[in-house]
Amino acid sequence: MLLPRNIKESIIKNIFFISAAFSIFIILFIFYFLFQQAYPAFQHSGFSIFSNDWVSTEGKYGIGAAIYGTIIVTVGAMIISIPLGIAGAIFLSELAPPYLRTILKPLIELIAGVPSIVFGFIGIILLVGYLQPTFGLLSGYTFLAGSLILGIMAVPIIVSMSDDAMKAVPRELKEGSLALGATKWQTIKKVIIPTSISGISAAVILGVGRAVGETMAVSLVLANTMQIPVPPWNIFQSTGSTITSLIFTHMGEGTGLETNALFASAVILFVIVAIMSIVSNILKERISKKFRGG
Amino acid sequence: MKLRGSFFGKEILKNIFKKRNFTVEKTFCYIAISLSSFCALLGFFSMAFSFYIGDVALRIFLLFIGLLFCYLIYYSFTTLGKRKEIIGFTIFTFVVFILAYFLPLLPPEYGLQQYDVDASVLKFIIVSIVFIIVGIIGASFAMKPLFKFTTKSNQFSAYFILTFSLVFILYPLFVILSNLIVNGSGGITLNFLTENVLKHGAEGGVSYAIVGTFIVIIGTALIAIPLGVASAIYLHEYAKSGPIVRLIRIATDILQGVPSIVFGLFGFAVFVPIFGICILSGILVMGFMTLPIIIRSSEEALMCVPRSLREGSYALGATKWQTIRRVVIPPAIPGILTGSVLGLGRAAGETAPIIFTASIFIAPPPTSIFSPIQSLSYHLYILTKYIGAYPVDQNAWATALLLMSIVLGMNAIAIIIREKYRVEF
Repeated sequence: MLLPRNIKESIIKNIFFISAAFSIFIILFIFYFLFQQAYPAFQHSGFSIFSNDWVSTEGKYGIGAAIYGTIIVTVGAMIISIPLGIAGAIFLSELAPPYLRTILKPLIELIAGVPSIVFGFIGIILLVGYLQPTFGLLSGYTFLAGSLILGIMAVPIIVSMSDDAMKAVPRELKEGSLALGATKWQTIKKVIIPTSISGISAAVILGVGRAVGETMAVSLVLANTMQIPVPPWNIFQSTGSTITSLIFTHMGEGTGLETNALFASAVILFVIVAIMSIVSNILKERISKKFRGG
Repeated sequence: MKLRGSFFGKEILKNIFKKRNFTVEKTFCYIAISLSSFCALLGFFSMAFSFYIGDVALRIFLLFIGLLFCYLIYYSFTTLGKRKEIIGFTIFTFVVFILAYFLPLLPPEYGLQQYDVDASVLKFIIVSIVFIIVGIIGASFAMKPLFKFTTKSNQFSAYFILTFSLVFILYPLFVILSNLIVNGSGGITLNFLTENVLKHGAEGGVSYAIVGTFIVIIGTALIAIPLGVASAIYLHEYAKSGPIVRLIRIATDILQGVPSIVFGLFGFAVFVPIFGICILSGILVMGFMTLPIIIRSSEEALMCVPRSLREGSYALGATKWQTIRRVVIPPAIPGILTGSVLGLGRAAGETAPIIFTASIFIAPPPTSIFSPIQSLSYHLYILTKYIGAYPVDQNAWATALLLMSIVLGMNAIAIIIREKYRVEF
């Protein structure tokens, strides 16, 4: 050992600190470069970037249609995945006998492990092919298909995280409720769900975040046109794109301002998702603090 | 639980089943429950496989359920003496009878044009949704007389609904896996695995893409694992609180949530102008993407090492670094590896970042980290786009199956590591 002990120790500590601080640098880097690329578009369009007016030949880059598409697809996905996810989590954490749980939990996490391109591929071949004749559509590439795919993809995230939250409810609370003569279902309804509600909401928000940011699966099953369907709630019309599919399909095609506009939509996406992950983690921290401190 | 008066055939049934606490009423409840569950499943599968069970079958089926519920109402009213509780039953039964009459009268296509929507709903969709709802409500109602309307009956109704939701959750997995295996396994031949792309992917194979995918996995591991483990050690061993640690945690959380397309754009804006579309740009982006997963799992692994081990080491005069290197890290390695392999498996399937930073469809064999590569996920994306234009279906299914099995294989490796080298404290 050439170096004195304490100097060596402090060097090592600083190396670890730099690696840990690297995450902050990456986030700042990402935001800085995205914003730098997006700035011309914000400057060019101002607030009209939120308008529903994307005509690249005329230099109009309003991404309103893509934002609307993201909202409607995500809402559709949540209608499917929240009830299913929470029901699955209750089943997994409270009802399933241990042997069933050891089989089911990996199976459900397996769905989360399926690459999104495989979801997109299967979605094009099976889901789009199923929706088109079933609803007598001109083309199956609709918001409905996008919502269904995203819903299926968000379920395992919600199940897995809500299950963890429900498992974290202390045994004493459950046993206290059972000792008072409540049935198991009453205990689930009145004790377990209310105490783990912040964990469940964290799971739901994370699921929403994934759905908002999902690219491959959704851009493959959407029509990817920059229009809002008529009437707006028409999920059967083969129009529309999300922010992610807009970026994905237009990247590399246009030049100059169009690319800047894509970066601008990426900035909007980044901000939405970052807020969601922060909120989700605050909620998650709250539940762990509640039980650790109590 | 005896019925007033006599019931035809009760004695015969009793002899058939020869069960101690057998009652006809319970049997009817069981029949109603199983029939309703069957109804819900039938609805689900007719929706999934696009078939309509037919007018006559539908009428008979619903009438049968309705009649069973008439009996259950009678039983609840007379024997159990429930007057208020059977209101719901009566409404439900009434609705079932109405549906039995009206559902077959629906037109084969119900147009939505009157709502300005150019779509129409086929009859089987409406019938299947009705069947699922009737089945679920019916089964949860039929639980009630079985448990004599106690709170326990509510519990079993709820349990039924929760259990049925699993059908919906697991069905997509079943569809994906079965379709991949049925359609894809025929395409995975020796040629497919050892040849390069020919004729827009319609012939030939994916050998270069497999190599490219593994190069990306290894490169990602080289970047993300050292950084991730070091961050986790700092966060868990050196500093546990304070504003900077809080900031780091927030940054990691955000990083974990950043959509893959944003990472792709970032790489495209920052690394591609410097290095070009090449392995280095790809693995840098992928490494940043995998970093938060590895930090989190490594932290969890470090958390499992008990304090007493560390304190024992300090008591022997070891420094902090010696303690970490000799005492804390060795037992945490299986946990770190498990999490890392899981994170890398996720990276292997990613497409959006790789397209913008590292992959092209047909690439020469890579010579350095500055050459572009082929990758399975990008290959599958291009084949998906070519479907219909070129005869690529067989190869597309095979590529999807291969990609899926690589991801699953990595998950399996992670589970094996966890089970085999699990250290118990």
